[in-house]
Amino acid sequence: MSDEHGSGKVTRRDLLKRAGVGAAGLAVSGSFVEPAWARAKAWDASNTIKIGFVSPLTGPVAGFGEGDPYIISLARHAWRHGTTIGGKHYKVEVVTKDSQSDPAKAAQVANELIHSTGVDLMLTTSTPEVVNPVADACEAAGVPCVGTVDPWESFYFGRGAKPGGPNPFRYSFLFSFGTAQFAEAYTHLWKEIKTNKHVGVMYPNDTDGNAFRDNLIPLLEKAGFKVFDPGGYQDGQTDYTSLISYWKKNKCEIFHCAPIPPDFTTCWKQAAQQGYAQMCKIAQLAKTGLFPSQIAASGKLGPLLASGAYWTPSFPYKSSLTGISSKHIGSGYTKKTGRQWNQQLGASLSLFDVAQAVLHKSGNPKDKNKVVAAFRHLNVMTPSGRLHWGTGGKHNPVPPVVTTPIIGGQWVHTKKGSKFPLDFVLCEHSGDPNVPIQAKLKPYRG
Amino acid sequence: MTWFAAVVHGILLGGFYALLASGLALLFGVMRIINLAHGSLALVGAYMSFLLVEHTGMSTYLTLLPVLPGALIVGYLLQRTMLERSLRAGQLVPLLTTFGLLIVIANLLQKFFSPDVHSLDEGAIGTAAWQATSSLAIPWFDVLTLGIAVAVLGGLHLVLRHTQLGRELRATASDADTAELLGVNSRAVYARAAAIAVATAALAGVFYGMRTGFDPNQGGAELLYAFEAVVIGGLGSLWGTLGGGIVLGVSQEIGAQINPEYFALGGHVVFLAVLVGRSMAQASRIRYALRRLA
Repeated sequence: MSDEHGSGKVTRRDLLKRAGVGAAGLAVSGSFVEPAWARAKAWDASNTIKIGFVSPLTGPVAGFGEGDPYIISLARHAWRHGTTIGGKHYKVEVVTKDSQSDPAKAAQVANELIHSTGVDLMLTTSTPEVVNPVADACEAAGVPCVGTVDPWESFYFGRGAKPGGPNPFRYSFLFSFGTAQFAEAYTHLWKEIKTNKHVGVMYPNDTDGNAFRDNLIPLLEKAGFKVFDPGGYQDGQTDYTSLISYWKKNKCEIFHCAPIPPDFTTCWKQAAQQGYAQMCKIAQLAKTGLFPSQIAASGKLGPLLASGAYWTPSFPYKSSLTGISSKHIGSGYTKKTGRQWNQQLGASLSLFDVAQAVLHKSGNPKDKNKVVAAFRHLNVMTPSGRLHWGTGGKHNPVPPVVTTPIIGGQWVHTKKGSKFPLDFVLCEHSGDPNVPIQAKLKPYRG
Repeated sequence: MTWFAAVVHGILLGGFYALLASGLALLFGVMRIINLAHGSLALVGAYMSFLLVEHTGMSTYLTLLPVLPGALIVGYLLQRTMLERSLRAGQLVPLLTTFGLLIVIANLLQKFFSPDVHSLDEGAIGTAAWQATSSLAIPWFDVLTLGIAVAVLGGLHLVLRHTQLGRELRATASDADTAELLGVNSRAVYARAAAIAVATAALAGVFYGMRTGFDPNQGGAELLYAFEAVVIGGLGSLWGTLGGGIVLGVSQEIGAQINPEYFALGGHVVFLAVLVGRSMAQASRIRYALRRLA
């Protein structure tokens, strides 16, 4: 009753207040001006650490994001009682967003996390189409950001850094493989089988394809392989006869490709029809062939395809945040979801290990400059291995980037009675000798 | 010899395009609907076949027995519930409706089948080929696809020419109102045409699934090529669609033979040339008619 009475009487002061709120709303929708309510929220949230997580859950590269909900549940569980940093107790809130495999959408959700959620640290993963726009948004807004699974040359040079120039990035960091890691794995793996060292490559005319063409081919040729590149076809091509006859003509006993997954299936079925697959001793996949479903799609042609891994359950490392070993990340995922492990599980969980370590090292997780400063000489154990910033050299080629290895291996039939038909076994460990070799590379055909 | 091989592979590829385009041509020919969801409906066919193979272990070819009648029903209902209403609202609305359908289907497929890539097993002929010469291997599967395309288009042609349904379809296509006056139920005719179109889409989808890997977001590029085949073939003409598919396939293969980057370009250039040529021919016909009037 009294409420009604009160609201009936609009004083001049009330009216001004309401008009003010409306104006603030307009200002927000136009350019971003920090109004009083935003400051108030920041004060309320001073004992809650907010961590944003952007990954592709839908769209063409959604295969990468398949295990992310499980990994996030592990991190949330580890942080369920919060964490104590510099003597102060904080609640930790993880806010996740789907990039929908679209760079524009990735930038949009990153900006939402920065401006309306007000995250203290951004985590992002899986392909340059996700990581690069998110890192750019964070760089622009001055929010610390860590990414992974994005070839580091694409992350660093693709966003405007100049070779040999100073590091232009202050807020964005990355741990990932690069061309050198691919070259290292391939040159070791391919020497396990006697071939004529002729490599037929299938690189599309897209960002990844051209990166392989420009950076990997010279490294392979330096290692003594002869590379036959028919040229960049377009993603989604329906017939590959001209490429296949080129590889056949040049007797390429090694095949390497970096296509989008459906294109590989199309090309490889045609290669089998036209007799190329049969003469191929090593068929090495990049970009596709990461997940068991992609190999299963090739049917009988799937087993013995070679691939590379940035994490598998046989990595001898533990997540420092959750204390879970690589082996149990894989088995836990299968137990919870009924699906087979995939490489992205370890990489995604590593992001949360880095988050925990850097926030602790900063002493004050709410101070963005302190968090950024804490990346200097950050040293953290993750399922992907030990990450150590600030060492320079091979594993820290540019200041914001730590490289992680690619380990070469092969898809093989599992033993009878296994839950899944195919498994990935590691056949070399040049990138990280602590990772156990599980089998010797077998010839594909030929 | 490799040029000869490129042409042969182009013809076989054209058969695949024609199969994919047949439903598109029918729907456009009869109802003037450009069905942007055609590729997605094909994909649904492939997924249904995949589901049956996974659960029953039957051969992919046998899955056509339940999938095709199912697609007929889906097509019929689609026409009755969505296309019919949007057709009433004007020419542009069906375009928007089918575009919306495309997005809905892609997201539903992703929801139910995950974003994984799948492929259908094409049986023993999958990797078999006839080694005609040292540089030319003719895959039996592609020959089968071309054969099915010819059979589908030929079958549709016979139905249109020689059956009561065909006569009603043609009458409705040329003038729905007059056909109604003569006792043709145009609603029923449209619904049957849509049912047949969706069934051919599903058939093409199963072959598509055997030919390539597919995921829920697939079907865009192939739909574009199928559409080009329809346009090159003369918009809605059935045999023209087969010819259009072959012309497109051969020009893509020849483009790729020059340089793999020119695969799509080769097709697009011929497509453009046909469009320009046709409009110039039309313009000269108009000029000729004007001169005769003057």
